Amino acid sequence: MQVDPFQVGWKLLAPVLLLLLLGLFLAATRLTRDRYRAPGYLGYFWIFLFICVVTDFLSFTPAVWLMALVSFRALREYFSLVDLRLEDRWGVLGSYLSIPFMIYLIQIDWYGFFIISIPVYVFIIVPFLVALGDNRGRGSLLSIGAIDFGLFFFVYCLGHIAYLAFYSTWLVLLLLLTVTACKVASTLAAKLGRVPAFILSCVICLALTLGLRSLTLVPTGPAIFLGFLVPLLAQMGDYTIGVLERDLGISTEDLEPGRGHVLDSLESFLFTAPIFFHYLRWVMKFGDEINRHAF
Amino acid sequence: MRSDPRRWLALFAHMLVLRPLLHLVFGLNIRGKENLPVQGPCILAANHNSHLDILVTYAALPVRLILSAHVVAAQDYFAPHRLLFAVVDFLFKPVWVDRASGGGDCLERMNSHLDAGDSIIIFPEGTRGEAGKLSRFRYGVGKLASENPGIPLLPVLLRGTERALPRKASLPLPIWQHVSIGPPLELLDRAKDNAEALRESIKALERSEVASRHQRRPERHRPFVVAVLGIDGSGKSTLSRRLCLDLSRKDSTCLIGDSLELFAGGEPKTAQPLLKEKLRRWISAQAKDAKSLTRYKIPKLTELLLRDALLGEAKRWYGPDLVFMDGSPILNMTAWSILYRPDLMSEEFCAKAVALLAGTGMANDPLFKEFPELKVMKRLGLARLSLPDAVIFLDVPPEVSMARIEARGEKMQVHESEEKLGRLREAYLLVTKATGEGIGLPTFVLDGDRDLDSIIIDACGAVVNARATREVD
Repeated sequence: MQVDPFQVGWKLLAPVLLLLLLGLFLAATRLTRDRYRAPGYLGYFWIFLFICVVTDFLSFTPAVWLMALVSFRALREYFSLVDLRLEDRWGVLGSYLSIPFMIYLIQIDWYGFFIISIPVYVFIIVPFLVALGDNRGRGSLLSIGAIDFGLFFFVYCLGHIAYLAFYSTWLVLLLLLTVTACKVASTLAAKLGRVPAFILSCVICLALTLGLRSLTLVPTGPAIFLGFLVPLLAQMGDYTIGVLERDLGISTEDLEPGRGHVLDSLESFLFTAPIFFHYLRWVMKFGDEINRHAF
Repeated sequence: MRSDPRRWLALFAHMLVLRPLLHLVFGLNIRGKENLPVQGPCILAANHNSHLDILVTYAALPVRLILSAHVVAAQDYFAPHRLLFAVVDFLFKPVWVDRASGGGDCLERMNSHLDAGDSIIIFPEGTRGEAGKLSRFRYGVGKLASENPGIPLLPVLLRGTERALPRKASLPLPIWQHVSIGPPLELLDRAKDNAEALRESIKALERSEVASRHQRRPERHRPFVVAVLGIDGSGKSTLSRRLCLDLSRKDSTCLIGDSLELFAGGEPKTAQPLLKEKLRRWISAQAKDAKSLTRYKIPKLTELLLRDALLGEAKRWYGPDLVFMDGSPILNMTAWSILYRPDLMSEEFCAKAVALLAGTGMANDPLFKEFPELKVMKRLGLARLSLPDAVIFLDVPPEVSMARIEARGEKMQVHESEEKLGRLREAYLLVTKATGEGIGLPTFVLDGDRDLDSIIIDACGAVVNARATREVD
């Protein structure tokens, strides 16, 4: 078998470089902890990047289970914040168990089952579990609604990132870079004034999607479309989760783990990930048998 | 004690097994670590809701305290499970307290630990109690604190354990655990005051915590119910109606008297009529036409029961802020029962009868034998009358009220004679006193033999004060 020395070198060097960068980032945030707190999405940027690296350099299986941990963290925080009753315990337990269920389907690449796992099976079982735990029937409807919302966003939508990593880690990197760029752009725009955040993030995203075409293999047309789609979805996600944060009583000035930190960090990914995934799956025909092993 | 190798083993178990596990499964958020003393012993007092409490508390402690802390634990609870007892004994080095024998020498043992420089972790509620509610504190912790004035007493609030592993559940759910350690308390002289101050400080921590969590439904609207008592012709109907009108400028009020009326913005309001109200009026008319006291009794009793049911309906459909009841069914029934049985006239009897009518008394009380009606009511599930939040008794001499009744020129009811009204007045006074002292409701006895305006000023003040006191609780 022909071995490309450049590729072997890259394979060895890339993780080392990444770990170095991560170390620098952690050191910088530690040192400046008192004056400046790094925004939460940067932390998740590194986590997702780490998952990409594990996928590429190790194997997909540990990466997908790392993703399950991220899902679990997000779901756990959501359940800690939302006002669920003691009677909903069985429903909550079922929701936690749905994470390994869905992640296993991603791991074995059973797309057809993955895509209906949460919306069909879990959404049937969870209401049943809630009803089992509750014999009075007071407030069950609201509980089921609250649990299903959490399942959809923090398990199902985040699961799409894992599946995207299965198809192509470069696409996950593109998603990460564009979403993080949108966040950075909106903070920048708020500081500069005058420049509308949306236009700024569109410009950065377009540069990224077009510039990384040689790596991501996204055709030019869809790349331009994604340059506008990602900022739009990220803004929608920010806005929606922002409203929910106010309802949940999360104060964005004083974010702590367990008090909305995870929710706040993931807000832009929640809306972007599934649509980014499905659009590219359609454009690049990932599901087709012919293309199965092309990427 | 600290050189004991078993303690170091326990430390490893805490730091390398339990703490990472808690972080992974539940997630720990610790606030106020800076309040822990840097050296020397301390007393940590936490609220108790779950078996997880002690694990979560230990996860918030630095190595120094893990090595030197002792938990106050109930021996009678853990002793039957041998393995569990051994594990708890190994991990937490508890001061075992046998609750059945009243604690014994546990205070001395705690003192000796503190003298040796070790710390104490205590759950002053004594038991796990209702989820999320802070129950009464035992005074032991106050006593311990006042016997060791140099040692800081720190309040600790644990939140999340009551949801992760509540009392009845056996399987813990992953839910974030929050530990807030408050600043050391300033100690007072009396043990009881110390315990109360501790409870207050944990409550204060709790208030700041609860504010940062989602609340699905607003608190249920609870109107303030005032019962205006008085004999016939004392002017209680006039007084309650005027009070309703006057107080309706700020709040919506509801009057349950001969008729059911609603007020808001300083004027009467119309509302959809209730069927129970119509039925009650008809029965009330029957009682007024009665020829003898025995004939009077049954319709009057029914009328009172319906009046009580009407209170629930008014709360449910109209949602007023204040309800004035022209006579409270539960207190009226008690007063009338004294009237029928003068031999039972005592404060003790009144308090007991009120408790029985409210459905909180003993099931086989000898009073049931004395009053067959009470037995029937209990059987039918009617002895669940609601107590008012405050009682106003309008005191008028019977001769004055007789004069007022005669001046009205209406047909006299059977009990409306000077002698009977005098007895009724005494009964009411006794009932008012019993509810004030025996049950602890705010009661006010107002002199009714003067002009209406001055009575109203007094009554308004009383109602506003009583309401403000309830809001504080």
